[in-house]
Amino acid sequence: MESKVTSNKINEFRRGQQDAIPVLLGFIPFALVLGAQATQKGLPPYLVALMTGTNFAGGSEFTAVELWTSPPHILLIVSMSLLVNIRHVLMGAVIARYLRYLPKRKAFFALFFMCDESWAMSLRDTLKNQQTTFSLPYYFGISSCLYLTWVSFTFLGALFGEEIGDLHKFGFDMAFTAVFLVLLRGMYRSAKEAIPWLISLVVAGIVYLMIPGAWYVAAGTIAGLLFAVLTNRETV
Amino acid sequence: MISLVTILVMGLSTYLTRIAGFLLLRNRTLSPKMETLLNSIPGCVLISVIAPAFFTLQHADIVALAITLIAAWRFGLLPVVIIGISSTFLSRLLL
Repeated sequence: MESKVTSNKINEFRRGQQDAIPVLLGFIPFALVLGAQATQKGLPPYLVALMTGTNFAGGSEFTAVELWTSPPHILLIVSMSLLVNIRHVLMGAVIARYLRYLPKRKAFFALFFMCDESWAMSLRDTLKNQQTTFSLPYYFGISSCLYLTWVSFTFLGALFGEEIGDLHKFGFDMAFTAVFLVLLRGMYRSAKEAIPWLISLVVAGIVYLMIPGAWYVAAGTIAGLLFAVLTNRETV
Repeated sequence: MISLVTILVMGLSTYLTRIAGFLLLRNRTLSPKMETLLNSIPGCVLISVIAPAFFTLQHADIVALAITLIAAWRFGLLPVVIIGISSTFLSRLLL
């Protein structure tokens, strides 16, 4: 009985690793670019690895590197990073019910690795199989791959920054968008339920064009959510 | 030294954002209405993150995005990523 449970966990873990492969294709070029940019801003490779190892949050890391000075403006960088990452609060709230039956220690450990991709993929998986708890092995299969890839390739990018050159022409940046589009499709249920998404898209886009920095993510998310709240009230 | 402190504080703040939502809601049961609202968050977050891709002025990128969007509605993750990268590469090369 116990070996069956263990082999099931291993299978789940492997399944997570496998599902993570397309996402890795998007991670790698971004990681290399981030590492290279960080070096140009004066960050030594070991600090780059420390940053990506302790944060594992690309959006805020790119923002931090962009804002990096010698010496860094700690308050500015941390507050901007918080702004980009504030969506984690909502993400954590969404999966709270799928984590609540797990031992606290495991939940807190798992949450460290929560990023857009691992969160959305595990959520999709849980809903698809109509489970009430996250498959932790599956989640860790994904997260371990993403984390190790991110940290090592940002470190490599920092080490070999000058040799990397312009990756833009290869189109790797579309991999990131591609992953998110597939995840969105997986969440799509009806046109009516997707209207808040459209609101989010438009607001985020406008804010992105008008206000420099990372405000557009929070603005888009809040706008879509507000719309959902306000239209929900009407149906009461 | 201050670089090290900055990174560590940043890391801590990031982790706090990750556990905050969980801490708030793990012992609460939500009404069906709240649950519906919570369910609309994921889509809004994801689409907001990729919003800049939809508001590009580069013709090549618009074409590539359209192709990727269509692919995303039909195929699985790996094929769509491959289609996305290659269509973008070709678009930027040819257009």
